[in-house]
Amino acid sequence: MTLVYLLIWGTWIAFGISTIWALHWAARHGHLSDPEGAARSIFDDDEPPGQMTDFFPGDGPDGDPSLMEGSHD
Amino acid sequence: MTDDSPPPTSDSSASSAPMPEGSPDQESSPRDMVDRARIDASCRGPVLFFFLTAAAWLLIGSALALLASIKMHSPEFLSDTEWLTFGRVRPAHLNTVIYGWSSLAGMGVLFWLQARLSRAELRFQKLLYAVGILWNLAIAGGTVVLLTGRYLSIEWLEFPVWTAALLGLGFVAVMVTSLDTFRRRTHHHVYVSQWYLFGAVFWFPILYVLAHAMIHLGGATGVAQATANWWFAHNVLGIWFTPIGLAAAYYFIPKVIGRPIHSYYLSLLGFWTLALFYNWAGTHHLIGGPLPVWLTTVGTVASMMMFIPVITVAINHHMTMIGHFQKLKFSPTLRFIVFGAMSYTVVSFQGSLMSLRIVNETSHFTHYTVAHAHLGMYAFFTMVLFGSIYYIAPRLTGREWASARLIKIHFWSVAVGMIMYFTGLSWGGWRQGEQMNHDTMPFLDIVAELMPYFWSRSVAGILMTVGHIAFAILLWKMWRGEGQKRLRARKLEQQQEGPTLLARPEEDS
Amino acid sequence: MNRSISLLAGVLFTVAASFVGLVLIPDWQFVPLEPVQLDDGTTRPVPPEGSVAEGRLVYNELGCIYCHTQQIRPDNFGTDQQRGWGTRQTEPLDHIYDEPPLLGTMRSGPDLANIGARQPSRSWHHLHMFNPVITSPGSNMPPHRFLYEAIPRGDGERPDEALNFPEEFDDPHHWWVPTDRAEALVDYLLSLDHTYPTGRGQ
Repeated sequence: MTLVYLLIWGTWIAFGISTIWALHWAARHGHLSDPEGAARSIFDDDEPPGQMTDFFPGDGPDGDPSLMEGSHD
Repeated sequence: MTDDSPPPTSDSSASSAPMPEGSPDQESSPRDMVDRARIDASCRGPVLFFFLTAAAWLLIGSALALLASIKMHSPEFLSDTEWLTFGRVRPAHLNTVIYGWSSLAGMGVLFWLQARLSRAELRFQKLLYAVGILWNLAIAGGTVVLLTGRYLSIEWLEFPVWTAALLGLGFVAVMVTSLDTFRRRTHHHVYVSQWYLFGAVFWFPILYVLAHAMIHLGGATGVAQATANWWFAHNVLGIWFTPIGLAAAYYFIPKVIGRPIHSYYLSLLGFWTLALFYNWAGTHHLIGGPLPVWLTTVGTVASMMMFIPVITVAINHHMTMIGHFQKLKFSPTLRFIVFGAMSYTVVSFQGSLMSLRIVNETSHFTHYTVAHAHLGMYAFFTMVLFGSIYYIAPRLTGREWASARLIKIHFWSVAVGMIMYFTGLSWGGWRQGEQMNHDTMPFLDIVAELMPYFWSRSVAGILMTVGHIAFAILLWKMWRGEGQKRLRARKLEQQQEGPTLLARPEEDS
Repeated sequence: MNRSISLLAGVLFTVAASFVGLVLIPDWQFVPLEPVQLDDGTTRPVPPEGSVAEGRLVYNELGCIYCHTQQIRPDNFGTDQQRGWGTRQTEPLDHIYDEPPLLGTMRSGPDLANIGARQPSRSWHHLHMFNPVITSPGSNMPPHRFLYEAIPRGDGERPDEALNFPEEFDDPHHWWVPTDRAEALVDYLLSLDHTYPTGRGQ
């Protein structure tokens, strides 16, 4: 049984180390230092924050101008 | 984290001056728009193929589900045909919806998301078609085997070895394609969705191969086989469907409403804690079973730790949505995905609690667990898939969906159906568990008490199936190009010389 | 490319760790289990052989597992034992010959870990399999008539194996005879008996 527990804790530790390592990689390459930028990376010049990008067919962005930029917060 | 940066001017004239139908918008189309169109075009063939065949499996899976559900309250229904007996249609339902619908559609979403977030075209179209065809054939063959009974009763692993081998091959191709797209990315930032997608494409194929090796090649024996079984079955949810579903939710919610996600840090914390704990949770399916207690305790502890990633996701999704709920009215994608994201929070909390011995004592072995499973696979994952497909498919074809009414029929029938399914079976299942734990209550009386809940499940199932038919019709029409041309596709057409990207005939790009 | 490799390595470790913890270690722990010697010189559990093994396959291919468990929970956990489904919690030892173990996760029907001890009547099982409501009124178990062969009642003799129905379920036109699969399935069910002591308390 001792060996079982050793193995279990061993794998937990190995696993923890690998996770920390991957996190370290992410930090080293700047993937954690710019959350704002990462969060905004899904937007484009022509699909900026503040603009809805999905509508029922026929509604379109011209359907309700209040849904465009500046209408919230 | 507000969206207070001045919006770029390129495309925002729509708010002040509605673009007249059909007239060209004379602004220059921005490079981003062309890039997106090019990347979408590279996904079109294979991703549409995955979506269409997935929808076909959804219909087959729904039919099998209805059959199984009806047999629960009317056991004489079609009972003289051996291959339609409950013990055959039940695993056939599970495997068609898991590997047919959920995995195929999930992979379609995965390819598209990875390409869009890497800002790189999807390559290997021919390989992906081949993988898609292979998957479909493997699942079709496997389902026939399930219905004819040549399978082993190992839940979630019933498919014969050759089906599993073909599916495994497909997973490898998915892994390679995804890595290739990511490697050619033209964008510095790695978005949180990509972390999740990476989790899915690397964890799951390994899990799949290891589990099959242990079970079919005789690696595990006796009770160890049961632990391998549930280690796998729970991880199908945890490290295949959940990451894909969360990747989609993390992209589509902010993208559709036009607001960056509430806390990017939290989203990464959520990913890593999920990676740490979900793997270990599976043995809670065997609480009280013939196993050493430490094994199931590991499962319980990991399940409780899952509160961390779940809370981070819940906070993020809710805080991003807050103040934007009116947008649900306008966006089909948002409706489905927000429904899914909320269900994710509920199902995860519920799941963690169900791993506690005090709750498990009642909920184990009952229909309460069935309700829980559908809350995860359907209310969360399938709804997210629906939402994603509503966003992706029009961008692949350059067409709008053919009918807003059908989308609404789809949404409301599956939403009402699912809520009915869940409340009915949870209530009935919990009672079933309580009555089972009163040893004075005869078993057949418990069965009699369950009957109304079984009926409610069949009614709910019919509602959901109606929604699936509406969805399949829409997808069919989309493929046939019956919807209106999208505004953006028209704009692109006006500005490109010669044939536009979206109208380009379907060759390998 | 470098990044993808380290990312890849990170995710690989996560699965590998749980695989070792939840699959390899249990396997390694259970393999040395030995059958118990009873006072009469026999050992338990008994590896399924002959028609019992065939019946086990029938149990598999009819998907019995989706409604019936074969596991008894501990005494203070649920009322499995008070219901008479078993006399002790089932243990890893009980399943050393089970390929695969048919523990199950759903009790739409009762547990079957000890059904051979609880219901030793062959004819009961056949009637129940033919149409469960004959023996268990109100049951929602599907009838398994396809496991039985209908022989028209002409002038011929009644076959010895023909099912003996209570009057209201009698089929005036046919004798119903169990197929080999039905016999094997009942053999298997009758073999399910985990009431032997394992020397581990409970």
